Amino acid sequence: MKRERQEESGVDLNLRRFIKNLGYIAGGAALAATVPWLSACTPEKLQEIGRRRARVALIGTGSRGQYHIHNLKLIPHAQIVALCDTYAPNLEAAHALCPEARVCTDYRRLLEDKEIDGVIISTPLNMHAPITLDALAAGKHVFCEKAMALTLDECKAVYEAYQRTDRALYFCMQRMYDEKYIRGMQLIHSGLIGEVVGMRCHWFRNADWRRPVPSPELERTINWRLYREFSGGLMTELACHQLEVCNWAAKKMPQTIVGMGDIVYWRDGREVWDSVNVTYRYSDGRKIAYESLISNKYNGMEDQILGNLGTMDMTRGLYYLEEDRSQSGVRQLIGQVRDRVFASIPAAGPSWRPELRSEYMPHPVIEGAVHVNGGQNMIGVDEDGSDVILSAFCQSCITGEKAENVVEEAYCSTVLCLLGNRAMEERRFIEFPDEYKIPYMKF
Amino acid sequence: MKDIIIPAAALCRELRIAVGCFLAAVAVNAGAVVAYERPWTELFSQIGYVIVIAAVLYLLLWPLRLLGRGACLLGRRIRK
Repeated sequence: MKRERQEESGVDLNLRRFIKNLGYIAGGAALAATVPWLSACTPEKLQEIGRRRARVALIGTGSRGQYHIHNLKLIPHAQIVALCDTYAPNLEAAHALCPEARVCTDYRRLLEDKEIDGVIISTPLNMHAPITLDALAAGKHVFCEKAMALTLDECKAVYEAYQRTDRALYFCMQRMYDEKYIRGMQLIHSGLIGEVVGMRCHWFRNADWRRPVPSPELERTINWRLYREFSGGLMTELACHQLEVCNWAAKKMPQTIVGMGDIVYWRDGREVWDSVNVTYRYSDGRKIAYESLISNKYNGMEDQILGNLGTMDMTRGLYYLEEDRSQSGVRQLIGQVRDRVFASIPAAGPSWRPELRSEYMPHPVIEGAVHVNGGQNMIGVDEDGSDVILSAFCQSCITGEKAENVVEEAYCSTVLCLLGNRAMEERRFIEFPDEYKIPYMKF
Repeated sequence: MKDIIIPAAALCRELRIAVGCFLAAVAVNAGAVVAYERPWTELFSQIGYVIVIAAVLYLLLWPLRLLGRGACLLGRRIRK
């Protein structure tokens, strides 16, 4: 029904509503400063494409690939024409979702097909860079899952290839297209939480990160996230998104990195750590404290931007003020009296008193639209920005217009993930290497 | 069961004290509006808090009034 309505209108209602909600028309200049990548998908440009459709092929049809298929089916200017995977059960499941699409097992055959405008890559991480480079060389527009690549050199190669090509390249950094992240970032940059003094991100789960394996020889193919030849572990799979948010807030890149990684619980033959703690330090002393653990989920996932006047909890789309002036005067007065009566220590100054976390009043970044799900998810379980960025990519396939800064942001966050892994591996304090710096980076 | 008779004078006194507490609570709310630079509409919108503060003040006055009454009785006995 929804699909029919969208097809009738000839434009992507989701994308239009999203951009309209952001006030693109009213505050275009201010918005462009925070999210320049949206300039490739304005409502006017969306109108221009009319009823044209991007003919896209999916390379990699596992759970993420199939998730993209669901989203693509809701995008009127997208047409899935081919599917490719080396693992037959996934390919069959994906084909069942879009029976009209052709299927193949060798992605190079897809790239030779002149009918295909763009490819969507949802493969294990080790294949991101090779396929992206081949696809760009073949003249295809490319949408690739994060992270950008498995190694620093591959990241550089992809970045350089992008500089040379006129094709659009997107990495699925969906937080860049997530309405509450954009709103939250606008508020941060407007000074709502004061000066950004630090960032605190974590991602906690209590699961082994494994998938069922029908036969032992498929273990590394299916559970590729657990093995270093395919994956960067928690850093590339989880931290990548969060580090991008931190740099977006700080408007610069960290200069030094130190961390520790270990397997503390899931000693099941995996090669990647199940517990990582990494500290990224900016040149002005601000730090990102990153932590991920997959044997305790008490803390869930959080991206916190800390300011001297307040805290922005990006994940939940909420902010908290240190001195909350939004409360009524009498409530503030009662709070102050309560603090004086119950928190004063008559014998000495308060410096040694343990400061347990106070109760802060949450304020939504988007009025009336916040649904908190135990920190596991955000505003609208299905609307985390993945659908919008995919829609923007399909638009780029038609217009040929590149989205500003998407590749650069993906490059920055992926390189930071890989440097975090290097710091943990070598157990040393490392400086950001000059050879991986790009003009986009500010230190 | 014995009827409890509250004299009109006592009722008037309690009423005056309650109104005094309410006005004091309104003054606290007005002070808070000024101190925290909040809109004057809070004089009405925060009436719930004002009523609670007035009730608390009224209750807090009870022990003081009992002490006062006790002191008066003691003084009278001493004078006798």
